[in-house]
Amino acid sequence: MAENKSNENWTPKIVGIVCNWCTYAGADLAGISRIQYPPNVRLIRVPCTGRINPFYVFKALQEGADGVLVSGCHPGECHYLTGNLSARRKFNMVKNFLSYIGVEPNRVTFTWCSASEGERFSKVVKGVTEMVKELGPATKLVKKL
Amino acid sequence: MENIEKQLREEAKKLLAGKKVDVVVGYEQGTLPLQTTPCFIENPDDVEKLVWNSYCSQNLAKFAHDIIHQHRESQARVKPEERTKKIVGIVARGCTTRSLIIHLQERQYGRDEIVVLGVPCTGYISKKKIAIAVDGDEILESTVTGDTISLKTAGGEKKVPLGNVLSDSCITCRFNNPLLVDVMIGEAAPAMNPDGEYDDVNAFENLPIEERWQYFTKEMAKCIRCFACRNTCPSCYCKICFAEQSQPTWIGVGVDETDVQMFQMMRIFHMVGRCVDCGSCVEVCPMGVDLRKFLKKLDKDGFELFSHRAGADIDNPPLLSSFLMEDKEDFIYDPE
Repeated sequence: MAENKSNENWTPKIVGIVCNWCTYAGADLAGISRIQYPPNVRLIRVPCTGRINPFYVFKALQEGADGVLVSGCHPGECHYLTGNLSARRKFNMVKNFLSYIGVEPNRVTFTWCSASEGERFSKVVKGVTEMVKELGPATKLVKKL
Repeated sequence: MENIEKQLREEAKKLLAGKKVDVVVGYEQGTLPLQTTPCFIENPDDVEKLVWNSYCSQNLAKFAHDIIHQHRESQARVKPEERTKKIVGIVARGCTTRSLIIHLQERQYGRDEIVVLGVPCTGYISKKKIAIAVDGDEILESTVTGDTISLKTAGGEKKVPLGNVLSDSCITCRFNNPLLVDVMIGEAAPAMNPDGEYDDVNAFENLPIEERWQYFTKEMAKCIRCFACRNTCPSCYCKICFAEQSQPTWIGVGVDETDVQMFQMMRIFHMVGRCVDCGSCVEVCPMGVDLRKFLKKLDKDGFELFSHRAGADIDNPPLLSSFLMEDKEDFIYDPE
């Protein structure tokens, strides 16, 4: 793909893998409250962050996402009680490992955002979009189609 | 070393003759110099085949798992009341026992299905380092005497200190004596040098990000996806591996370099809290990919973030299936 940073019209594609019980509802709340946030994030709804295989994150980067956002319930508020706590360990390792092999650390973001935090969700998306814009289009791990 | 070998054969014979085990998994002399191969002994008269020396590189835990599971499959059509168990005796050094502990923690088989013949380990010889030491010449004969190994090639004989050719995982090994033992053979071996365990990883972490990426891509470009690393790894025992799944297709079959990177990243990632640093994958890799550099990072993170060492303690639950409310979360993004 002939995308590069010098292209002024370039905007990042961000895959958001979010929990059905909190962040997805939070995004909904942001929507019905008419809070504005950048349209760059495509949400994928999963039952729980504990359900996310680290491979989803790697695969999203390979298939052309410029950034990945993973968001779930705050610790202690998981619908399934502890799904996000085991996810937290997994993601800590993912984040460290990706930056260890030389992928920019800001490409992958993990955060918590509850169903009542529409405002926070919009800020997260704004922040993540800014960070990924700064980095430019992804070049590492991207499959040439 | 000879004493250990003798004692090992005696103990194996006792176990087999007394019907305490159905099969003993050990090492036997290979067909080439510097080589031993796994062997499976069912007859007490065959125990003379067993060897124990610095050439025993493979982690045998893989075979304990495979034998027990093959046997279970063969029992599937037998009436439940007539089903038998197959007891496997296994010659195990430190890293092998750690793999056995991981299998037990993951409920792959019961403690009563294995009998561990624990052997003290002073490290095994890395064939790649030997090849470097003799400039890739073919080795006709090799003998270990004390702390030196003499290598006979067509060009002459060369003596190399053993310490120079031991596998990297052995030099910094923390658990060279078995952690799970039924029959201990010989005295405990002297400790290796675990203090420098993470030196490699620390040095790599301090490189600039672009250099790390260059190194990663360079190493992964060597991989031909022969899956030898997966096949030899005791922690890789899934019946259907993600690498060969077609629904969904995780790994593309083309020549794209990212497919290889994805395969290795994911295989490495499956080793979180499960890699015992036995070095088997490095030892069998035909292309010499530096897998250890990446696997060791997970080991380091596991220890530094969650004080977990893979297979070191049977009562310590696996890293990713446990959690604490107060686990570190400084990596969580906060927009405020």
